[in-house]
Amino acid sequence: MWDRRDPERLEQRIRVERDGSVTALSGKVEFGQGIRTAFAQIVADELDVPIERVNVVLGDTDQVPFDFGTFGSQSVAQETPLLRKAAAFARQQLIGRASVKLGLPAERLDTDAGAVVAIDGGERVPYADLLDSEPLAGVIADRVSVMPETRRKYSGRPMSHVEARDIVTGRATFVADVRLEGMARGAMVRPPARGAKLRSLDDSAAKAMPGVIAVVREGDVVGVVAERDEEARAAAAAVEAEWHAMPVEGQTAEVTMRSDAGVDAKLRGASVRLAQTYVLPPISTAPIGPSAAVADVRGYGATMYVGTHRPFGVREQIAKTLDLPEKTVRVLPQITSGTYGRNSSADAAIEAAILSKGSGRPVLLQWTREEEFAWSPSRPEAVLEISAGLDGEGRIVAWRYDEHTNVHTAAGLDPQVLGVTSGRNAIPPYAEFPARVTLHIEPTRLRTANFRSLAAAENVFAIESFMDELAVLAAEDPVQFRLRHITDSRFRRVVERVAERSGWRERADGRRGRGIACTVYHGTYVAQVAEVEVSLAGAVRLVKVWCVVDPGQTLNPEGVRNQIEGGIQQSASWTLKEELLHRDGRVMNTGWDTYPIATFRDAPEAIEVFVEGDETAPPTGVGEPGAVPTAAAIANAVYAASGARLRSVPLTRERVRKAMAG
Amino acid sequence: MKLALSVNGARHDVDVPPNTTLLAVLRDDLGLTGTRYGCGGGQCGACYVIADSRAVASCLITADQAARMEITTIEGLGQDARLHPVQQAFIDEDAMQCGYCTSGMVISAAALLGRDPNPDETSIRDALAGNLCRCGIYGRAIRAVLRAASPS
Repeated sequence: MWDRRDPERLEQRIRVERDGSVTALSGKVEFGQGIRTAFAQIVADELDVPIERVNVVLGDTDQVPFDFGTFGSQSVAQETPLLRKAAAFARQQLIGRASVKLGLPAERLDTDAGAVVAIDGGERVPYADLLDSEPLAGVIADRVSVMPETRRKYSGRPMSHVEARDIVTGRATFVADVRLEGMARGAMVRPPARGAKLRSLDDSAAKAMPGVIAVVREGDVVGVVAERDEEARAAAAAVEAEWHAMPVEGQTAEVTMRSDAGVDAKLRGASVRLAQTYVLPPISTAPIGPSAAVADVRGYGATMYVGTHRPFGVREQIAKTLDLPEKTVRVLPQITSGTYGRNSSADAAIEAAILSKGSGRPVLLQWTREEEFAWSPSRPEAVLEISAGLDGEGRIVAWRYDEHTNVHTAAGLDPQVLGVTSGRNAIPPYAEFPARVTLHIEPTRLRTANFRSLAAAENVFAIESFMDELAVLAAEDPVQFRLRHITDSRFRRVVERVAERSGWRERADGRRGRGIACTVYHGTYVAQVAEVEVSLAGAVRLVKVWCVVDPGQTLNPEGVRNQIEGGIQQSASWTLKEELLHRDGRVMNTGWDTYPIATFRDAPEAIEVFVEGDETAPPTGVGEPGAVPTAAAIANAVYAASGARLRSVPLTRERVRKAMAG
Repeated sequence: MKLALSVNGARHDVDVPPNTTLLAVLRDDLGLTGTRYGCGGGQCGACYVIADSRAVASCLITADQAARMEITTIEGLGQDARLHPVQQAFIDEDAMQCGYCTSGMVISAAALLGRDPNPDETSIRDALAGNLCRCGIYGRAIRAVLRAASPS
């Protein structure tokens, strides 16, 4: 299913339009990571057209080729070669047509700014004039020659988002900004806790309220449709529903991710051993814009305006919900508030579809802030236990790792899936010592699902904190200690470079200290140094972060910088501030006052990102890796500044003060 | 209830239920969807508009209250050929990712520059502290406001 792909056809990838513009089609979806810009750059370069003439259509299930979803920072990596090839093939076909039209051999033709031109000069045929017989189509040839790098005008150049103008003027249409003829508004009636079953329903008062069109019930899903948003919400509050609480059964499983011979014997024989446990609390994806969807369900099909990473997956779910054939459902992904994985679950879309079907009206449903915190999937608690032994020269001789979490309660128990979800980055990137790595899937009362980097951020917090503790035990500088255990040259380079760029030293002035952490995430190499200031009371201020990233060949360095900076800032917020509290399956903190995130006042003085990609390596993702090492870099910096070793986050003042005293 | 609002320099007559928020009127009655819903409690800044030269949360004031004020939304701040310097600076510094918080942030920054054309970094952080961003573009937004304050 991951590679369900038919042969690539040109008409599903590139359309040269009669007005001379070019439409590029991809099943990937934009959510702030800048792929629309990156794809436009590639197509503009390969087809030799000005970038302003390239329109990128993302995720419209009636137009684009099937795509499994936009996950794991892989969009650019997967799509780049496909779009490049499609655009190059289109250019080749256009040159072929011009050759017939002009009676000139293709070798004597070239392209320039949206036209085929004769190399000797004179003839110039705009692409639009080459479409009279039929549109460009056909299976894309296996071998297509692409533009030499010297002729690329856009790829690799810093560019701001192509939709930046729409965003700063407010014109950008997010999901909740879609307005359809006859559109009504929805509001859901929520149970007290997850998994509750509806026992009885009295909607007589609600139905009599102003503006109410329908009270819709389907199974345990209950909602109100009204003319106005505030009317729908008032009526939803007036619905009398009795719920039967149901305990949510947690899953358990054990997956051996790596098991080398001799781990226990080597641990026993080590000259020193260390065992520690690290704990991360549940956190919320906490998008600024709550979930929203617009559903227009008719007898013959449905049109869905949604925020999603996987339009074809939503099409399947909506077709199933409404009992319609898949081909009658059209999913139109809209730009959406960044959701960092949360949108993988199509809750609002399914609810909006039910409300639209039940009311006979197109319905916009936007969750409230409280609903978003309480009902969206979260990142669960993680407990990470590590033991390792060092030999007389301070080298790691064995490693034992037990990870306890379940980052995706709906993903099932297939060990292969668990290994890449909950087990992500559990295997240390350091080479040449025997290791046993075991993933324990723990029951959780929280609903959990995709959140930026899945479990990598948790695992790397533990591994990189522990590497620092081992360095102390080996009486060695943390950078040198890591370098001694790295064999991969690209990994080594980012660690060396971040040390150089930051002028590495552990102690900084006054009450400041610096910490390092590094990882390899889906082929992207990233190393960070954080500087913090720790007050006598234990308050941690993040002063500055340096980051060196190697995402292979880099199309848009400015876009990479923006993504990495954002990952660091978000991860700093998780690390210093965030903890989702829950009891009996019910989330307790459902507002920004009780779930504070970093604000402008908390932002560090600078986040310096150095994009130093290996241009000979294929491009890899940057949406997630920036967030992965930050927690450990900060915790290691707190240790350098204050001597307090924090093995639990968030690094609240109370917790740090206690660790300083102990 | 029938109300006359002054939004982006034009008069708009609306007929809305009592206690309807300014945010709902802007988005649902006037079609000005650039002002975003984020929390409904004045805690995130996504719905900020300029009301009589101050940045305020449009989810916290009623349309009735707003009828006594001069309201400017993100759409009225500047469009295409005539962008507000803050809007241009946000583009130039690529100070956005998903863009959901951008409207409110630009409004806060524009209101700040209206009362202090040359703010220092601390004043910018203070003035924008009510605008939450989850994508993590705070550093870029600070640079954008500094740039807008002193055009080169």
